[in-house]
Amino acid sequence: MSTTLSLAGLLAAPRTGGVRLVAGREAEWRDVVVETAEADLPDHADGALAVLTSPAPPTPWQTDALLRRVRDRGFTGLALPEPAREVSADLAQRLGLVVLAAGRPTQLARACWELLAQRDALTLSLVRRVAQTIEYHAEDLRDLLRDLAANLGHAVALVDRDEVLLEVGHPLPPRLHAAVDFSGWAHTVRTDDGAAASVRVDSPTRGGLRLVLHDRVLTDAQLAALTTVAEVAMPMVAARILIDEVVALSDVSRSSGLLGDFLEQRGVPDPEVARRMRERGWRTIGYHVGFRMVARHRAEPVDLAQYVSRRLGAIPVDSHVTTRGRGVTGWLSYTEAPSAATLADHIARLRRLHTDAQSQYSIATGVGTLREGGPGLSATLGEAADAARLATTRASTGWFLHIDRLGLEQLLLAWTGNDTFAPAARSLLEPLSPTDLRTLSAYLDHESQVAATATALGVHRNTVTTRMQRIQEELGVDLTDPDARLAVHLACRTVVPPSDA
Amino acid sequence: MPRTLASHDVPALAAGAALLGAGGGGATTVLELMLRGTPHPPRPLHAVGELDPATPCLAVAVMGSTMLFTERLPALDPFAEPVAALERWLGTPVPAVCWAEVGGMNGLTPLALPPRRRLVDADLMGRALPDLDQFSLLVDDVPGVVFACTTGAGGVVLLDGSRPADVEQILRTATTTAGGWAGIVVGGFTVGDLARHAIVGSVSRALDAGRGFLAARHGDPRELARAIGGELVGEARVLGAAPLADDPRVTTVDLVAPDGPVYRLVTRTEHLALSRDGRTVVAAPTVIVVVDAVTREIVPVEGVRRGRSVLLYAVPAPAWWREPRRYARASPSAYGLAGLDVPVPATVPAGPAGPAGPAEPAADRPEAP
Repeated sequence: MSTTLSLAGLLAAPRTGGVRLVAGREAEWRDVVVETAEADLPDHADGALAVLTSPAPPTPWQTDALLRRVRDRGFTGLALPEPAREVSADLAQRLGLVVLAAGRPTQLARACWELLAQRDALTLSLVRRVAQTIEYHAEDLRDLLRDLAANLGHAVALVDRDEVLLEVGHPLPPRLHAAVDFSGWAHTVRTDDGAAASVRVDSPTRGGLRLVLHDRVLTDAQLAALTTVAEVAMPMVAARILIDEVVALSDVSRSSGLLGDFLEQRGVPDPEVARRMRERGWRTIGYHVGFRMVARHRAEPVDLAQYVSRRLGAIPVDSHVTTRGRGVTGWLSYTEAPSAATLADHIARLRRLHTDAQSQYSIATGVGTLREGGPGLSATLGEAADAARLATTRASTGWFLHIDRLGLEQLLLAWTGNDTFAPAARSLLEPLSPTDLRTLSAYLDHESQVAATATALGVHRNTVTTRMQRIQEELGVDLTDPDARLAVHLACRTVVPPSDA
Repeated sequence: MPRTLASHDVPALAAGAALLGAGGGGATTVLELMLRGTPHPPRPLHAVGELDPATPCLAVAVMGSTMLFTERLPALDPFAEPVAALERWLGTPVPAVCWAEVGGMNGLTPLALPPRRRLVDADLMGRALPDLDQFSLLVDDVPGVVFACTTGAGGVVLLDGSRPADVEQILRTATTTAGGWAGIVVGGFTVGDLARHAIVGSVSRALDAGRGFLAARHGDPRELARAIGGELVGEARVLGAAPLADDPRVTTVDLVAPDGPVYRLVTRTEHLALSRDGRTVVAAPTVIVVVDAVTREIVPVEGVRRGRSVLLYAVPAPAWWREPRRYARASPSAYGLAGLDVPVPATVPAGPAGPAGPAEPAADRPEAP
């Protein structure tokens, strides 16, 4: 590892006391000399940076002469205190001198010294900043990483092989992400987009994570120091991941229990449950639309609840979600009845959420109707649960079902329309002519009353009786048997559209 | 045998005066027009040694705003009243006149006097300089020097035996009273005084340099340097000019040469110093001449503008100024500008000096590009 300090590295480094490039483009310095005035500088410096703490002379020609003399001493860089207004960029370019203006020259000098001469000092100062991060109370993992990034002055990201889970500071460039080695413990990498130091996060609950500290430009010294910093900070991050999971789990289990109590009381909560609901911000007054998401395969409801909770923020309405059974239950709350367009928009957003979630979770989603008040909330959640149960078999609708204004009959009917039942129904009723089918349907709809059926069809009651005898023979079923009667009735609804009946 | 100065010499003398004006001293145009209207037969231009040293002499100059001089035009004899007052004070007619300032428009003023006085080939500055206390007679503290100056509407102020700084201040005030510019006359000295306390031969030098300039003007820049008795420092393009924050009378000009070097020209009323790559290469009293690279006009300080390509010349100051005490009175530090002075040139040049006598090279020889 070479011990040089590049201009780009210096400009990108944090805590340099506000350094500004005045003239020049590129430079590599092997040494930094800090003096009060130019006269105190050594006579022979080879490729070094001079940091002067006294201001530039008042006139442009004296500044010109200063640049000349500094260059003549062999320096290729000069940092002057602000305001370095009279510096001729053309002359600096001509002389091959990079000129910097430093807001606080002593701090710049210290930064240069850390970057160039004293790596351990740099590492120590960064590690001390990690300690400051520990001292600070973080709300969650994101808050912790934010504080870490702010203290270090570099970007921080938590990544797995495929994606960036969390990041603070400027985004981790994809090519840099791709270049991170996931096999080892600590690793450093450079690409054209930047440089990164990463360390494996040993988390008992999540494998394959790495903590990445990166920036657009980092010197070798900085990269080495950041590797150490990542190693020191990693246990703190791993612990925080665990703490966040435990907190989330206990919160979800409490809210799940509360929802159970509420539903048991059928939407009219006793004072105790009502108090707990208030504490959570769950309102019963107003209008609600329930939804439920159930896993079609194995899925962790707590993960799903967290995922849905994050995404629900995008819907501009009060919303809540918690786990229930092997799925999650949630609802949107409105203080006043929403317009049909607003409701349709929010349902469409729920559907998008459902669709997006498919990439991670195999779920089926049911959505209830808009209902009012506590009992209404209980009812819409019930509808959502029924709809979700149906949706698990509805590949054709993308495993998403919205009950909307359908009644329970239609719900049942919708259930009969599934891929298994419909063919069976058709084959059961195949022997019947269309006329017989209409007659059978009307007969069952009218509770097997011949007179009512005849009236409905506009035929004589004897015609109905005759047709019904023939139909029972052809089907080979006894319509007095409740199970058989129900099956045939459902089959009729599947084969004959209700308007035809 | 004295040289002669004829009407047809005026353009060459005007060009020489512009060269020695170092970008200041005012344009010779108005005086050239005045002289064109009153043609003279050729007049002898006497070298100092040709006249009796006891001959009383005077020197004339226009001082004040050179711009106002082109707006409020002078009378045909702007010096009649102060000369009369001076002669009355001295109690004797003054039969000889020399130049007060050979650079700039004052390079022609003695010719505007009625032609009865003998012209002496000498001046009190050897170039253009801004302040009256930079007259050689005052720099050397010659006793008995008298000044007369118009104060407008027929008035004259006469100053006898004042300290140099007072002369500058009082006559500057008189000039303001007179309406921005005034004719001043210096007397109370003899031709013999000029030999030691003035720049002798400077009019011939201006004439020769002017002739050389007019002949070689559109030729090779190095040839032009030889023709005007100077050196080519370089060719550059003006990037910009800005007044100095602490002293708005001072302007610094950034220039860059096509072959790389970066120049900075510092000007006040004249071009004061020129640095290359952060090192001062020429400074007053050496005369810096800026010539437009295309039109080959001599560029005054106010003409050095962004985008102009110029040739930069150094014309040696008269040897008179090389004595350290005198040198300090015409160096940039005399105007309060630190860090621009170059040391007094130590050697007498072997190269082509003006025929008027020894002169100095540029303070620091240009580096090969």
